[in-house]
Amino acid sequence: MNQSKLFRGLVLALATAPAFAQTTTTAPPPGRLLASNCFQCHGTNGTGGVDKIAGKSASEIYKELKEMQQKSPPDMMDMHARGFTDAEINLLAAYFAAQR
Amino acid sequence: MIKRRDFIKWAGAAGIGLNATGWSMLAQADSVASPVAIPVPTNTGIKGRVVVIGGGMGGATVAKFLRIWGGTGVDVTLIERDSTYASNIMSNLVLNGSRTMSSLQYGYGNLASRYGVKIVKGDVVSIDKATRNVTLASGASYACDRLVIAPGIDFDFPPGLETAAAQAKVPHAWKAGPQTTALRNMITAMPAGGVFVMSIPGKPYRCPPGPYERACIVADWLKVNRPGSKVIVLDANPGITAEVHAFTEGFALHGIDYRPNTTVLGVDTTTMTLQTNAGNIQGNVLNVIPTHRAGKVITANGLANTADGRWTTVNVLSYESTTAPGIHVIGDASATTQPKAGHIANQEAKVCADAILRLFSGRALDPSPHTNSACYSPITATTASWLTANFRYDAATQTMVPVAASSGEAAARSTKNFEEMGKWFTALMGDSFA
Repeated sequence: MNQSKLFRGLVLALATAPAFAQTTTTAPPPGRLLASNCFQCHGTNGTGGVDKIAGKSASEIYKELKEMQQKSPPDMMDMHARGFTDAEINLLAAYFAAQR
Repeated sequence: MIKRRDFIKWAGAAGIGLNATGWSMLAQADSVASPVAIPVPTNTGIKGRVVVIGGGMGGATVAKFLRIWGGTGVDVTLIERDSTYASNIMSNLVLNGSRTMSSLQYGYGNLASRYGVKIVKGDVVSIDKATRNVTLASGASYACDRLVIAPGIDFDFPPGLETAAAQAKVPHAWKAGPQTTALRNMITAMPAGGVFVMSIPGKPYRCPPGPYERACIVADWLKVNRPGSKVIVLDANPGITAEVHAFTEGFALHGIDYRPNTTVLGVDTTTMTLQTNAGNIQGNVLNVIPTHRAGKVITANGLANTADGRWTTVNVLSYESTTAPGIHVIGDASATTQPKAGHIANQEAKVCADAILRLFSGRALDPSPHTNSACYSPITATTASWLTANFRYDAATQTMVPVAASSGEAAARSTKNFEEMGKWFTALMGDSFA
């Protein structure tokens, strides 16, 4: 099963849901606030900075973060990765996979 | 197939020569890197007016993210008294001549042209806490649904340092700007065998590793350029407050005379003497970083409600004041468990922006936000250390708590860290101002 496509589809579906009435507002995409913790180094929406992560596949981002959690001695990013749960890593992966 | 790459594969790893020329190239790269402009959506349905006071790391970031997340229906006005923001981050490198203050200036043009933030240059004279109306010295008045205040810090000067003339002789250089350049000039005017004395205030103060970093940078420069000179660090705290490993090693490397539990009680700018609880200390150059409090707009408008009257208490799910509804305080001026520093002010701003947009939409706040604090500290002219902490909301204490496994410092200073520092800084400033 292609995890990344599934995540991307879900996020896109949420992001493009039309506003049905003037009083209806778009819900914040899942993972957006969490993912914004990455923007300081990887650019807003992951679009650059030290390493562009926007548009990478969700499965790749997930795998890399899981590897970083085990890396010893940890570099700065390896240590950051240790602060996220599996569910949070999935949210991060889905968010950045849906960015361009 | 995308080939597996290391997350932290820095584009600059090939090696940017960070001599004076290298730094000026990096300064240009701050803009050459051209952070991508994010579109401001037109169809979120969210409507509201926000006034932001203060265009530093927190204020600039909250203004940008209110627009890129909230869309064109969210009217954002940023009130700032200066034309540009002078970055405190990296400003210690002005002291050894590897950076200039002109390379550390960030304007508000991108916020206006890319994101439609209304920029107002002015000085706030009063805030009506009930209506959130903001009045400027010009007499102009701004109404809003939600007010965000990001004023940074102010100082309590010790006796003898109250006047501008005294502060010109004994600068703090803890708000980057003309005082930073002045301190650089004082250091270069020091004789060989001279004495540089700096003081660190008790916690909380802005940028916990910053003073220790400064001591290292100055001592490193003096060692080469003014042989036989001495750096004395008077710390009001009982020990090094951040990056204990890096700075313990750095102080030993540079022969820094570190004196914990030493508080400056007064300053004699005629004899260039610091009066402390451990006796008088004279120096050729004195650099006193005074005790901090929230920026004046907080204290002058009855928003400093901590027991010591220095800071604003906030709900860290939204950064809304716990005593003034509709008024949010982010960055150094709020009392939280997080450090007072630019990188984390940027993240607090995003939590605040997300919360305000949810409140405008009648939605519940994100119940479990993360924030993170990360920075690099130069230890010599070519090596740096790093410090990082990933915070998670703890519902039981209603505070941000650092995740233990995700908080710590570099195992050793290195030139690789120094190179990564430049990339981090450029990206952080881009996320905040571009």
